[in-house]
Amino acid sequence: MIDVRDLTKTYTVHEKAPGLVGSIKSLFVRKKIAKHAVKGVSLQVPEGEILGLVGPNGAGKTTLVKMLAGIIHPTSGSASVLGHTPWERDNAFRSQIALVMGQKAQLWWDLPAEDGFLLLKEIYRIPEERYKANLAYLAETLDVTKHLNVQVRRLSLGERMKMELIAALLHDPKVVFLDEPTIGLDLTAQRSIRDFLLAYRETHKPAVILTSHYMEDIERLCKRIVIIDDGGFIYDGPLEEVAATYANQKIVTAHLKRDGMARVDRGALERFGDVLAADDLQVKLCVSREQVAEASAYILEQHDVADLNIEQEDIGTVIERIFAERRKGRA
Amino acid sequence: MTARLFLQVMSMEARRRMSYRVDFWINAVAGFVAEFAIVWFLWKAMFAESGADVVAGFSFEQVLVYYVVAILVGKLVRGTEFDGQPSEDIYQGGLNRYLVFPAPYFGMKYAQAAGALLPAVVQVVIFGAAWWLISGGAGMEGVTPTGTAMALAALALANMLYYMMAYTLHCISFWADNVWSLLVALRFATGLLGGLMVPLALFPDGLRRANEFLPFRNLFALPAEAFLGRTSFDAWLEGMVVGGVWLVVVTAVARLVWHRGQLQYSGIGI
Repeated sequence: MIDVRDLTKTYTVHEKAPGLVGSIKSLFVRKKIAKHAVKGVSLQVPEGEILGLVGPNGAGKTTLVKMLAGIIHPTSGSASVLGHTPWERDNAFRSQIALVMGQKAQLWWDLPAEDGFLLLKEIYRIPEERYKANLAYLAETLDVTKHLNVQVRRLSLGERMKMELIAALLHDPKVVFLDEPTIGLDLTAQRSIRDFLLAYRETHKPAVILTSHYMEDIERLCKRIVIIDDGGFIYDGPLEEVAATYANQKIVTAHLKRDGMARVDRGALERFGDVLAADDLQVKLCVSREQVAEASAYILEQHDVADLNIEQEDIGTVIERIFAERRKGRA
Repeated sequence: MTARLFLQVMSMEARRRMSYRVDFWINAVAGFVAEFAIVWFLWKAMFAESGADVVAGFSFEQVLVYYVVAILVGKLVRGTEFDGQPSEDIYQGGLNRYLVFPAPYFGMKYAQAAGALLPAVVQVVIFGAAWWLISGGAGMEGVTPTGTAMALAALALANMLYYMMAYTLHCISFWADNVWSLLVALRFATGLLGGLMVPLALFPDGLRRANEFLPFRNLFALPAEAFLGRTSFDAWLEGMVVGGVWLVVVTAVARLVWHRGQLQYSGIGI
């Protein structure tokens, strides 16, 4: 459904020296700088898959989504979405895709959501019966039927995002781009949108590219992720293998009995790795795989341990560490 | 773009515009009263100073009628200046949503602009009727059904022409950070050369003749003069042909600017 080959996007930006003199000088001479937002990436997404696109701000996620949705032209490379080149913007292509932008309202702010949906019905030429059935299904599943006739600007953020999802899915798109769909929402609304997206994927099987800064979105919705940083992909594979590939640290947690044998010696623990917690009730360490056995043995020997737990770092922490290490490497 | 979609977008924009009652009345009353008051004081002073009964073929009464009609024509021609303009879409990334719709951006915006005209139409009806009642139709003896039909045709052309001129300038936003000054310049130039600020009969002969080959006269003077019966059918037809040619030229320029500009678009805002 989505096939991307060596896609690159380079923006030309102008550099201006600071201060008033720099501002005056820039009126006559400006230094142009090439900013490589996306650097020769390749990717395939089949029908029914939700691909998570993960990366820090400015990594190139949104630029990639904008190219695949046909909003901007790439500098080089090719992409085929449902057999079309997105930036040629054929109506046949645009009728089969949807783009939801969490930070940008798509619906008409001053009108009730249903007025906007009626306009979308005309834009996408959705037959009456299908429109009614889809609207009823989407509004009921997202629990917003009673808000359809309320002005969009008067809806809560969560309700508005649900309306945005309805607007995007009314025409049964085969490819959906979701750019931060849960940004700023409370936990209940986030969960409700995630549940909806999972159910929708099961019934409609669209190819979805999801970008989110919330790891819970990614963990819940995506089996495969692409990690993007500085315009290039640094990982493309199953979510569960990210930890196996990059997590060389484990978390060792020991809950201590109140009458522990010895006071916790923080200094002694630090030789194994990072001490995340150390008090009379709990010891928590982040240690390398090689140090796990030794650290655990030390804790068991020195303290009266009620229970001991050794676990993988959570995926969000692993990814954050990957970015932090890359940033350190570039500095 | 289907006619049904065009009408739907138009209707939606009209409803949106009419939903702000205070805005509607402030725009209607303040705009008309301010423009008319300036004209009244200015021309009252000019007639008093010159001591003449007729200036450039207009009596004081006739010049007031000309301005009332020209101001109302201006509302219908420039009523397309509304929020959600293409330059705003380009700056703020609002263009993104239109680019993913299977419908042409220009068509969607022009339909919105046509919808934004509805408040102007209501204002024209209100002020036109009020003027008729107050003046008893004085100075409007030349109004005929044929002249009204000619004026409506000229008005439709003027609306499209002005929209295309403004649209071209809006598309410059793909390169420039702010096109506001260009739009102000357009408003001023069209107001002056289009006969909205002063009747074109006051222009020197050379400038008036040159202006007949420019698009500006079509915007306000031609519809107003046709309505008041101050232009012959031949002169009207000539004006419509000139206006039609300019519409084709400006549309071609707009298409070129849009085509080149959208290659620069970075979709800022998401």
